[in-house]
Amino acid sequence: MNITIQETDAKIVATLAGELDTAAAQEAEKQLQPLQNSKGKDVLLDCTDLEYISSSGLRVLLSILKQAKSVGSRVVLKNVNDVIRDVLELTGFISIFEFE
Amino acid sequence: MVSFKNGWISRVGIVVMAAIMVEIISVIQYQRLRRMMLEETGARGRVVVSAMADHIQQTLGLVESTMRENMWDVKRSLAHPDSVYPVLVRLIDDNPHVVGGCLAFAPNYYPSKGRLYEPYASKDKDRKITVSQIAGPGHDYTQNEEYQWVIDHGTPSWTDPYIYGADSVCLTTYSYPIFDKNGRIVAICGLDMDLSWLGDTLNARQPYSSSFALLLTQEGILVAGPSEKRTSRADVEQALAVINGDVPESKNPSISMWKTSLSKDPFWQVVQVYQTADIYSKVGQMRLQQMFLILLALAILAFMIERYSRNERKLRMASEEQARIGGELAAAHGIQQEMLPKTFPPFVYGSLEPAREVGGDMFDFFCRDGKVFFCVGDVSGKGVPAAMLMSVVHSLFRVVSRKEYRPSRILEAMNREICRGNDSNMFVTFFIGCLDMYSGVLNYASAGHDKPFVLSGGNATMLQAKANLPLGAFPDTRFEQQSCTLEHGTTLLMYTDGLTEAKNVDRKLFGREGIDGVLKKFISRMDFSLEDLVLSLCTAAHKFAGEAPQSDDLTLLAVRFAPGDLIREQITLTNKSSEVTRLSQFVKDFFGRLEVDRKLAAGMRLGLEEAVVNVINYAYPPDEEGEVHISADSDGKEVRFTIVDSGFPFDPTSVLEPDTTLDAQNRPIGGLGILLSRKLMDSISYSRQNGKNVLSLTKSIL
Repeated sequence: MNITIQETDAKIVATLAGELDTAAAQEAEKQLQPLQNSKGKDVLLDCTDLEYISSSGLRVLLSILKQAKSVGSRVVLKNVNDVIRDVLELTGFISIFEFE
Repeated sequence: MVSFKNGWISRVGIVVMAAIMVEIISVIQYQRLRRMMLEETGARGRVVVSAMADHIQQTLGLVESTMRENMWDVKRSLAHPDSVYPVLVRLIDDNPHVVGGCLAFAPNYYPSKGRLYEPYASKDKDRKITVSQIAGPGHDYTQNEEYQWVIDHGTPSWTDPYIYGADSVCLTTYSYPIFDKNGRIVAICGLDMDLSWLGDTLNARQPYSSSFALLLTQEGILVAGPSEKRTSRADVEQALAVINGDVPESKNPSISMWKTSLSKDPFWQVVQVYQTADIYSKVGQMRLQQMFLILLALAILAFMIERYSRNERKLRMASEEQARIGGELAAAHGIQQEMLPKTFPPFVYGSLEPAREVGGDMFDFFCRDGKVFFCVGDVSGKGVPAAMLMSVVHSLFRVVSRKEYRPSRILEAMNREICRGNDSNMFVTFFIGCLDMYSGVLNYASAGHDKPFVLSGGNATMLQAKANLPLGAFPDTRFEQQSCTLEHGTTLLMYTDGLTEAKNVDRKLFGREGIDGVLKKFISRMDFSLEDLVLSLCTAAHKFAGEAPQSDDLTLLAVRFAPGDLIREQITLTNKSSEVTRLSQFVKDFFGRLEVDRKLAAGMRLGLEEAVVNVINYAYPPDEEGEVHISADSDGKEVRFTIVDSGFPFDPTSVLEPDTTLDAQNRPIGGLGILLSRKLMDSISYSRQNGKNVLSLTKSIL
C-alpha cells in the first residue's frame, strides 16, 4: 500500500496505490490522518492505482468522509476501477461519495 | 348451459310449428275431402238410384212382358167365359212378382154372365192359386178410375200402389186393354204385382246403417221404403217432408238425398237418403287418424331429434373433453418434465420415462458447497394422482433441502408435510444422498426405496442402505442416516421399480439379472459415460419388454464421485490482522492455478478475507492466541473455502444485514464485512462440528 498526499490552496489530493486490505488499513488510516484536518478544503482521493479494497479500507474512507462533511467540504473519488466500484455498489457507498 | 337451453326451446319450437302447419294442412285437406266425399257420395247416390230405378223398371217390365206374351192365350180364351180361368192361372203362375190377375170385361160382354163379369185368380203365400168371379154389386169395376182411364186412353197403365186384402199387402196393378177385331175394348186384363219386397230390396245393400232408399209415386206417396226395424218412422217422415218440399232442403242439412224417376209409366221416384253426418264421418275419422298418426310421427321425430342432438352433444362434449384432457395432460407432462434437471455435469446423469403422459417418479440433483445432493422418488400408483403427489414431493424436496444438509432431516421434514392431509393414503419411496465432491463422503437415507447399486473396482454391489418406512406412512417416522466414503471413480446408480419390474409379454420381469447383464459391460472400465450407462439400461429394459406396454414409470439416476482435477490448498493463520497479508498471498496463489477471471477472483478474495477477518477479530477472546484453518478447493467449476476455528460458537450467517441505504453521517462503521462475504459468494453455510465453527463459502466460477 502506497499513499502520497499533496496539498494545494484549493484542495488536498491523496493518491492511493496498491491493495487496501484489512492488514493495510491500520497503516493507511495513520497515513491519511492529515485529511482529518482538511480545514474546509475539498478532498480528492485518486484511486487510479488502487487495486483492492476491503471493508476495513471502506471504513477508513467513511471516516474521512464523515469528518469532511462535518466541516462542509467534499470528498471526491477519482478513477475508481471496476472491482472497487462493485464493492462500493454492494455496500451502498456508491451513493454517499462523489466520483470524478 | 345457455346454448343447451336455447337448443331445447328451438327444438320444441320446431315441433310446435310443425304441428300447427300440419293442423292447417289437415283442416284444408278435411274441407277438400268433405267436398270430395259429398261429390263422391252424390255420384254414387245417382248411380245407386238409377240402378234401383232400372231394377224396378225391369221388374215392372217383366210383368208387362208376361202380359204381352200371354195375350194371345187370353184372347184365344175369350170365346167362352169360363175358359178364361185356366188362362188367368197360367198368367199369374208365370211371374213370381204377380200375386193376382183379373179380366174385367166390358159390360154385358157375355150376356150369360150379366152386365159385369170379372174372373179373378190370386196366389197366396204358398203360391196356391184360387180363382173366383169378383164383380158384383159391391164391386163395380167400371167405376174404378184406373179402368176408366185405360178405357178412355186405350193404353196400358200402372195403378198407384194400394193396400189390399187381409194381409194388407201393398200392390200395384198393371192394366192392359184387350181389343177385338174391330178395335173395341172388350176387356181389361189386370195383373197385381206385390210391392212389399221392394222396400227390403232397395235397402238391402245400404252403405250406412242410417242411409235408406225410398220409392215414391210421382205425387210423392210412399210406395216402398226400409222396414221400421231398420229405419225409424221419424227419419222416413223427415225425408219425405224434404222430398215433398214441405221443408226446404237447405233447412235440413242433416240429410242429403239423390233421386231419379222411372223413365216411363208409372214415373215413380227412387230416392236415396243419407245422413250427412255419415258421409263425413269417415272423413272425420280419417282426419282424426291422420292427426294422430302425424302427431305420433312428430313426437317420434322430436324424440329422435332430441336423442340425436343429445347424443351428438354428448359425443361432441366427450370429444371436446377428451381433447381438453389430452391437452391438459400434455401440459402436465410438459410441467413435470420442466421440473426435472435437463443439463447434467459429467458426474451426474438422470432419465425419467413415464408409463403414461404423467408419472409418479422423480429425480433431482443440485450442487451446493461442494456437495452434490441427489434424490430419486417413486409415488405408489401412476398417472395423474401419482403425478400430483409427486409434484408436491418434488417441491418439498427443493424447499427443504435448501437449508438442510442431512438427508435424514430432509426426509423427516418432507414426511411430516406429506402425512399432513394424506387422506388418500398414498406413499412415496425416496432416496436422498449428499456426496461431498472433495472428500467422497456420502451421507444418505432411504425412505423405503430400492437400494442403489455401487459400481466400483469392477464390481456391482448394493449400497447398504437401511430401508426405513416410505414417506407418507407416519408423520413421526425417524429416518436413519448412514454414511460411507466412496473411492475415486465410484458410481452410484439409483432406479425405480420401473426398471426391475419391466415386464415382457410373457409377464417375466427384467429384474436383477437384466440389470446385471447391462452393468457387466460397464464396470470393467472406470471411465464410462454415465449417460451411456443410463440410456443402455433404458434401452435394455425396453428391448426386454418388447411389445408389452411400459408397466411403470422408469427412472434412473447415476452419480459418480470423480474429483478429477481437484485443486486443494490449505493454510493455517493465527488470530492477527496482519495474517491477512498471508491470506491474500494464499488466495492469489490458489487462483493462479485456477485461471479465474480477475474481477471474479477479487470478489472471492474479498468474500474470504472478510469472513476470515471476522474470525480473527471475534472468535477468540482478546489477547488469546487461536488458529484459523482455511482450505480452498475447486473442481474447476466451483470454488469452496472452508474456514475452521476453535473459538466461541458463532454463526455469522445469522447476523442481520446492515442498512446500506443510510447516508454518510448515519452509517455505522463496521458490520459490512459479513455483508460483503454474503453478497460476493454464492452461498455461505455455517455448522458447528466437533467443537469447531465450520464456515463454508462457495462460488461458481463457470
